Amino acid sequence: MSEVANSDRASGATVRTGGLEVALREGETVLEGLERAGLDVASGCRAGTCCKCMLQAEDPPADSQRGLRPTLRAQGYFLACQARPERDLALLGAEAPPAIDATVESLEHVAPDVARILLRPATELRFRPGQYLDVLHPSGASRSYSIASLPSAGVLELHVRRVPDGLVSGWLHELEVGARVEVRGAFGQCFHVADDADRKLLLVGAGTGLAPLLGIARDAREQGHRGPVDLVHGGLTPERLYLRRELDELAGRWPQLRVHHCVLREATKREHEGRLDEVAIRLAGDLAGTRAFLCGDAEIVRVLQRSLFLAGVPSGEILADPFLTLRA
Amino acid sequence: MSLYERLGGEPAMQSAVDDFYRRMLTDDRVSNFFDDVDMDGQIAKQKAFLTFVTGGPAEYTGKDMQAAHAHLLERGLADEHVDIVVAHLGTTLAELGAAPEDIDEVAALAESVRGDVLGR
Repeated sequence: MSEVANSDRASGATVRTGGLEVALREGETVLEGLERAGLDVASGCRAGTCCKCMLQAEDPPADSQRGLRPTLRAQGYFLACQARPERDLALLGAEAPPAIDATVESLEHVAPDVARILLRPATELRFRPGQYLDVLHPSGASRSYSIASLPSAGVLELHVRRVPDGLVSGWLHELEVGARVEVRGAFGQCFHVADDADRKLLLVGAGTGLAPLLGIARDAREQGHRGPVDLVHGGLTPERLYLRRELDELAGRWPQLRVHHCVLREATKREHEGRLDEVAIRLAGDLAGTRAFLCGDAEIVRVLQRSLFLAGVPSGEILADPFLTLRA
Repeated sequence: MSLYERLGGEPAMQSAVDDFYRRMLTDDRVSNFFDDVDMDGQIAKQKAFLTFVTGGPAEYTGKDMQAAHAHLLERGLADEHVDIVVAHLGTTLAELGAAPEDIDEVAALAESVRGDVLGR
């Protein structure tokens, strides 16, 4: 038996990137083809382990996505050193998505320091609920906010916490209905991937970490998720928890969703009291095979990530985009 | 056939690294070395390390290993901690179905890394 690798014969597949077209030879990987064409592609182990040669394309070969997080796979990321495509492959560029105009459709204060803002984009913005976008302030500064709404809603729902002396959050809280803002996106790895409709999902977040969790829950419902979904929203005290009626209504329409509220102190009959990670682990039960979505400030997410991992959630099933708050 | 392939390749390494890292995080003798690290980055590195010591496809450089541990030497990282890590590695591989002679072989390979980890 003989194996032909890197022969001069064409494989039939072409890789396109920018203005360049590379016809792959038989047995050649995307990485080898791009290098032969003179491109400087970052790479390391060349064996599908180190992930340095990760690129993005529409519909890459499935076996070149092995070992990547489900959200990366869903976005078309793949390992160039493992990809021997049978069909043409168009690489997606690394350039930032363009800024888009949007209009404030409504603004509602849902907690003492949180506004729910609905923005209607002038042109289509592609996103998965739970991803985030950047809102651009006229000064040039920008801040990231997660999207709670579904693409089918036509509006972008953001939950904006007013940071003391915050440049962008203070400005957003004072906007009038009809005002125009610029947004750019979407970004992030924290969204629902419908690869197993019966999997248990655990959604845990604090403060405005509710926005991505709400988006993920709505998305899972729309995509026909059948497994149990536990959403745990945490805050310091009960008055910091918001949109409770909407959450209860969503759970009423979708029986596999259970909504839990957790506070550090002053719990009433309607909240659990204690540390968010401990309460979430207690409520969720068996965690083997669970996919967890963790949202909120970086420190809270770090604690949740470690605790849930130790409690049995596989590391590859923990999806999180920690919020980083910039001090004004 | 390498131990890496016999254990089941990449998917096996993914579950092995979770088991290995949980053992280290719950062992008070070494867990404090992981207090400030980024979990995702740490797991990716340990997966590459497990792949390397089981004979799988991995890039290993002693220089990277030295750089990654240099700041831990100031916090008291020493031979006894390397011993603990090698022991956890053996337990993880045994649970995954590795034979005792495989584990000895892996331990010998891990041993060759000791000098780089401890900066000597």
